[in-house]
Amino acid sequence: MADTSLSAPEAKLTPGLRASLPVLVLLIAGFLAPLVTVAAYAFATPKSFDVFRSFTLANFAAIVDPSNTVWTSFVWALALAFCCVAILLVICYPIASVLFVFPLFVSENVRLYGWVLFFIKNGVLDGALKWFGFSGGPELLYTPGITLFGMVYVYLPFMLFPMTLGIAMIPRDLVDAASDLGAGRLMIWREVELPLAMPGILIGALLTFVLAAGAVAEAKILGGQSVITITQDIEVAFTYAQNWPMGSALALILVLIVSGLALTAMARIDLDKILGKR
Amino acid sequence: MGPMSRRNMLQMMGAAAFAGPLLSASRAFAAREGELNILCWEGYNSAQVLDPFRAAKSATVKAESLTNDPTMINRLRAGETKIWDLINVNNPWARKVMAPAGLIKPLPRETFEPYFDKMLPSFKPPYRWAMSDDGKDLLGMAQRFGPYSFVVNTDKISRATAEEQGWNLFNDPSLAGRYGILESDDWNVFDIFLTAGINPFVEHSEADFKAFEDTAVRIFKGAKMIGDIATMNQALISGEIDLHFTGGTYSVSPARADGYPNLRAITPLKGPIDGKGGVSWIEITSIVNNPQLSPLAAEFLQYVQTPEVAHTVAFAEGTFNPVAQMGNKACFDLFTKDELDAIQWDSVEEEMARSAEYDIVPDYDKALEIMLGAKRQRG
Repeated sequence: MADTSLSAPEAKLTPGLRASLPVLVLLIAGFLAPLVTVAAYAFATPKSFDVFRSFTLANFAAIVDPSNTVWTSFVWALALAFCCVAILLVICYPIASVLFVFPLFVSENVRLYGWVLFFIKNGVLDGALKWFGFSGGPELLYTPGITLFGMVYVYLPFMLFPMTLGIAMIPRDLVDAASDLGAGRLMIWREVELPLAMPGILIGALLTFVLAAGAVAEAKILGGQSVITITQDIEVAFTYAQNWPMGSALALILVLIVSGLALTAMARIDLDKILGKR
Repeated sequence: MGPMSRRNMLQMMGAAAFAGPLLSASRAFAAREGELNILCWEGYNSAQVLDPFRAAKSATVKAESLTNDPTMINRLRAGETKIWDLINVNNPWARKVMAPAGLIKPLPRETFEPYFDKMLPSFKPPYRWAMSDDGKDLLGMAQRFGPYSFVVNTDKISRATAEEQGWNLFNDPSLAGRYGILESDDWNVFDIFLTAGINPFVEHSEADFKAFEDTAVRIFKGAKMIGDIATMNQALISGEIDLHFTGGTYSVSPARADGYPNLRAITPLKGPIDGKGGVSWIEITSIVNNPQLSPLAAEFLQYVQTPEVAHTVAFAEGTFNPVAQMGNKACFDLFTKDELDAIQWDSVEEEMARSAEYDIVPDYDKALEIMLGAKRQRG
């Protein structure tokens, strides 16, 4: 390889590195640079635009200050994300062989507003129940529960696809063999199917958790802001409050929490096993 | 693919990577006769307003709409004066912030002042919000305006009761769970101060902030939901709520135009701002201090003053509003009875008289922080 015309002596770059340069440049400019900028803003003077020119921990001090209630937003975001993942794990497993692709092709906001029309007073549900002579539908809209429902609904495909892949990887022969050896249905599921499908399940859980922890539209549109999630606090810091350093500090903490959890989960996944051999 | 062709391809990619920015840089240095960039509230960015101008001038007109003033001004501060030619924000910013900071430049008075003569009586020149502090420079043009306090469903709460009770409605425990909050942080801050019986546009004491916080916590806890204009109108129409905190002709006019005249913007009869209980807004459009200003900026400002375009701006997509140009009969005659009903023309004058004009809250940052904390306590 070193003798090919691509690695001329004046160039110190190895062919591999050179070939990967365009992608490296793209990743640095499009992925790393924004992250570094956000991280730098987190250490800038509060309510200023002095990025890279000032260094202070004031933003983090303000976040951990006992009088600041922003921690509740973190708690809500993470709790809703955990619940969302847990519910998806339960409901996606049985239906992993049936794929719902259509919801992916309609904008999330349009779908959420559709649910508002379904649940709103005198809307589809309430109106239909009244028409049938009932006193009306339950008051579900504008609650944390409906926020969670919206998240489960929106992120369903992100759990379903990896999980389907994971379950499809289970060789039929192993299940048959376990059965021949006298294992019951529950035991086959616990001892054979689940461990083999685990990589797909973990990836699905990871994807949905990362997305759900950053969810904001569900809490706003369906939940009527009955609870505030951390993404909304970040949004306000960057817009109305014009406190980019504070927004960046919050974003950085969220990135650290989510990536910490994600990396812990990733350490348990063998990607080769999922993408390569069966 | 052989090594040579691969190298060629890399060379081409490299050349393209360098040439791209250079090309756009050369475009930036070119004269800007054929382009115009507008930073505005929605309405001015609609095709109905921009397309005729684009066609007449064969120009590339870009308009970006945002829904809060501080963000727009901070974008100019962050160096985007090089990009924008016109900025359209609420009344105090040109005079109190943008002109002193050198972000906008004055208009030629002899060209633009005569337009104010044709506007509604309250805009007669020299119109305070269009002028610099020293009264020498004309800093922008007025167009859309409106009262903006709160909105009720008059089938549930009569206009007379709402006007008489004013902000106290939101202090009434029996209305908890029956109102929504239109999310607009700066207006929410004004209105929480007003509900607490405090003038928002002065320096506040610790006692004021305590009252502000108590009121904020109570109002957010009692709200059925917090949301945008569409959410509020939908909730009013469906009966989820009977009234909503923060709102006015700007927010409710689309619902009124859709056949819900029972929804109405309300301005309290009295309140803590020198006796006034409402707040109104007036948009001022100014020319940005752009080192390479497009000559189309001034032309566009004149274009939107013509009766037909002023009427189009008033009824651009999204929200419908009165415009100062309705003082000109040629413009006023373009409005149909339904359109006048939608913008509550019957009471615009008295409601504006009962409203203080949008202003800057001196300790806004602190108030906003308290308000955000109060909002989190909903959960």
